[in-house]
Amino acid sequence: MSAYHPDDMTLMNYAAGSCSIPESLAVAMHLCFCHDCRQHVKNLNHLGGALLETIKPASTDDDAFETLMASLESHDHSAPVKVKMEPTPSDRSIQHFTNPLLRYLPTSLANLPWQRQTKEISKFDLTSLINVKGFQIALQKISAGAKVPMHTHKGFEYTVILSGGFSDELGVYHEGDFIARDASHKHSPTALQNEDCICLTVLNAPLKFTGWYRVLNPFMAWS
Amino acid sequence: MNDSTATNDSPDWGALLARVAEHDDKAAFRAIYQHFAPRIKAYAINQGFSQHAEVLVQEVMTSVWRNAEKYSESLASVSTWVFTITRNQRIDILRKLNRTRAEVVIETEDLWQIPTEDTTICSIQNLSTEKFVTAALEKLPEEQMIALRKVYYEGKTHEEVAEELNIPLGTVKGRLRLSLQKLRVMFEAKEI
Repeated sequence: MSAYHPDDMTLMNYAAGSCSIPESLAVAMHLCFCHDCRQHVKNLNHLGGALLETIKPASTDDDAFETLMASLESHDHSAPVKVKMEPTPSDRSIQHFTNPLLRYLPTSLANLPWQRQTKEISKFDLTSLINVKGFQIALQKISAGAKVPMHTHKGFEYTVILSGGFSDELGVYHEGDFIARDASHKHSPTALQNEDCICLTVLNAPLKFTGWYRVLNPFMAWS
Repeated sequence: MNDSTATNDSPDWGALLARVAEHDDKAAFRAIYQHFAPRIKAYAINQGFSQHAEVLVQEVMTSVWRNAEKYSESLASVSTWVFTITRNQRIDILRKLNRTRAEVVIETEDLWQIPTEDTTICSIQNLSTEKFVTAALEKLPEEQMIALRKVYYEGKTHEEVAEELNIPLGTVKGRLRLSLQKLRVMFEAKEI
């Protein structure tokens, strides 16, 4: 059970469908791990249903239903049924909510073709899979015990821990935790000692390394 | 289209949907359509999506027709189910409009998953949750409800809401925060 969650506003924006695709990826990933947030999103979905019931209906075209029926009936006879690729049960990270990246990763997390950033940090870029301007999305792997150089964020950064954990100046985080950081935070995460830390990071602006590590900026642009 | 017949005892949408699933029952589907299509259209218009309102209605209702058998009362009420489909189709249409070429991108359905099975919660609990949410909404002060509706339902930013209501941004944020807090407290009290 994770201890750090998206705030209520973020969950509401997710349920309402008004957050961006990269943000929704971070929330969806957290939901894989967190029963409480799944439950809350479910409640917030009910809110959507309740609002749909109380909305003032708009008038629709009189023949819209017949047109729809005609198209449905012609399609139902000819169109092949769309078959969705179902993940195998063993791949499902958690019941009731499937890892949203499952169908898009070439292999398991452990065997991904990680791109080496430094000796202890590597990444697997997902920016093109999400393809939303202004966002950088990646899986990051930090070796057990390794430290990410001190950095700040120009925009915001969402991190969801997929395995292992890390600590920074503000806390200790474990599998499933959802961590939101913005420009006011300066931190240097350190992976926990016992295992490599893999996390999903969603950034809406490049990181800025501070101190001596600023020489890393061009290389660690996370893009 | 008519909606003037709405009464307090609304039809059993779940039963109608089951008839669609089992027998391709056109009359049942028509009843569902007549209730939900005007609401989906209103949602689209509220979301500033007027241009694509009819498309959204047709896409959602097509999905309802084709996926009726996936609906289960143990998951949500029909309104909530239709809402989640509507939300996802709206996002999908927007994403397609913004896409420049055929790319492999993550599908909306993977990000906003509509559950298809959940045996941990019994149907009675879910349906009562639905009524409970409606009742909870009625308990919110009107000013909080208005702010919540604008953000949740009309997709407005906090800044836009502040401007529309002619109140400071901080007040909007405060009302939203309070409404979400109250709902959470009410939800959690309900869950035992």
